[in-house]
Amino acid sequence: MNNTFNIKRFGRLLKKTLLERPMHTFGFAGLVLVISLLLYFIIKIFAGYGMAQRITFFVGLIGGSFFLASFVFGYFSSNASGSSFLTLPASTFEKWFCGILIAGILYPLLFLLFFKGIDSSFVLLYHNSLDRASPFYKKEYESVYLFDLDGFIAMNVYALFFIYVGAMLVGSLYFNKTAVIKVSLTLAILIIFILGLNWLMAFGLFGSIEDAAPFNHVAIRIGKEIGSLELPPAAGKIFKYAIIYIYPAIIWFLSFTRLREKEF
Amino acid sequence: MIEVQNLSFGYKKRKLLYKNLNLKLETGSIYGLLGKNGAGKSTLLKNFIGLLFPKGGNISVNGYTPKKRWPAFLETIYFIPEEVYVPALTIEGYKKLFAPFYPLFNEEQFHSYLEQLDVHDKGKLNTLSFGQQKKFIIAFALACNTRVLLLDEPTNGLDIPSKIKFRKLIASVFTDDKIIFISTHQIRDLDNLIDRVIIVDNGELLLNASIHEISGKLCFKSVKELPETGKVLYAEDSLKGHTIVIENTEKEDSKVNLEHLFNSITENPEMAKSIFQN
Repeated sequence: MNNTFNIKRFGRLLKKTLLERPMHTFGFAGLVLVISLLLYFIIKIFAGYGMAQRITFFVGLIGGSFFLASFVFGYFSSNASGSSFLTLPASTFEKWFCGILIAGILYPLLFLLFFKGIDSSFVLLYHNSLDRASPFYKKEYESVYLFDLDGFIAMNVYALFFIYVGAMLVGSLYFNKTAVIKVSLTLAILIIFILGLNWLMAFGLFGSIEDAAPFNHVAIRIGKEIGSLELPPAAGKIFKYAIIYIYPAIIWFLSFTRLREKEF
Repeated sequence: MIEVQNLSFGYKKRKLLYKNLNLKLETGSIYGLLGKNGAGKSTLLKNFIGLLFPKGGNISVNGYTPKKRWPAFLETIYFIPEEVYVPALTIEGYKKLFAPFYPLFNEEQFHSYLEQLDVHDKGKLNTLSFGQQKKFIIAFALACNTRVLLLDEPTNGLDIPSKIKFRKLIASVFTDDKIIFISTHQIRDLDNLIDRVIIVDNGELLLNASIHEISGKLCFKSVKELPETGKVLYAEDSLKGHTIVIENTEKEDSKVNLEHLFNSITENPEMAKSIFQN
């Protein structure tokens, strides 16, 4: 028998993982979808469609996957469940891929479908509610449009999704208990540290700065004017691809090696 | 067969719990692993199943390296930890999700073992008492028919009738192609069950011998006066005088008292070694 991957065994493992704790998987996924719907509905009333789309997309995709990622390897809060998970006759790759499939592929696909559905419905309702005879019809119609899932904002959210979910997968294998809280704190500290260090470096080099984003740009204040210093395109591309592809690939792979080396 | 060669293991790099431990466990025996609290009994079991990795040396279980946790290996071994895990599933639900991972799982046996251990509940497993949960897992593990069964403190949480049923069940399911390895500090629970005894203390293997071998080398008896000659490994005051464990130079027949044996070996490891090496 293949000790790395066997499709039948993987099917059993996926079934077991989904049905063993249905509240953690189906229940939570359902809850996030309901919250996303409510969030969209409430924010569009107070802040408009654009903001509702952006916040719902961010919270639903990243938040939902982040928590689901903590559940898929969340067996290590007790000796008994951790032992049961590690000694179950399935390969490390299958156990890892099962987690990836649930938190990194199936749920995001489900969310994207759901999001597309609610976004289309709300935008359609809005368009249908407009008075076609109104002189402002065209302007009002064009002020609300579908969220572009291939657009700039969506692409940034996807990049963050890969980083956050990867960090949670690794974190849940390092922190046996209350992994969500510990990973969230670690990420927050790391982000503040990187931003702070970047700002300090920029301040040390240029003096009066307006803002600075790591690997992106430094905005310098000269008198009343603000100028932006950006990386040369070639160097910028390297950092962009590192953040979008290389860094997530490293942490997702790290979760596999951590699971393989996990002692409990 | 389980073979341990020069095993070194420690939770801290500088403080090893086991150093160069050598052990060979043949198929066809029920082993009792005895040791004080913190002696490293659970640690040894976790090394056998691949939950902990040796810092040095090798472990081979039926030809597999546990550290790799290959499915082909995990299908042949079942580990029941001291505290068991049961999800919020019914007995049938658990069987449907977990049994397919074990190719030799036998449903008929499973229901029979549950019956023998008095586990009848139709509700969710996680609502059962700790003892019932443990008995459920024991029944499931036995029905998996793995070649190696590792039990860590299996009788903890079981009431007296359940302990008796557990002993009967283990004895009835044992076959010559299996190794059953029971770790416990409740020595009396293993009476009349095990056929080999392993005693560890301070990370050292003090004894690995069959009950037959032990009764040939040691004599367990009651005496009015403590003998002045002979190697007395252990003595305890009793109503009729003293209960002693002494080297069996006269080839007397006596029943091995595991509790007294454990005290003898841990209190006089050097004397015990000299007796068992001859």
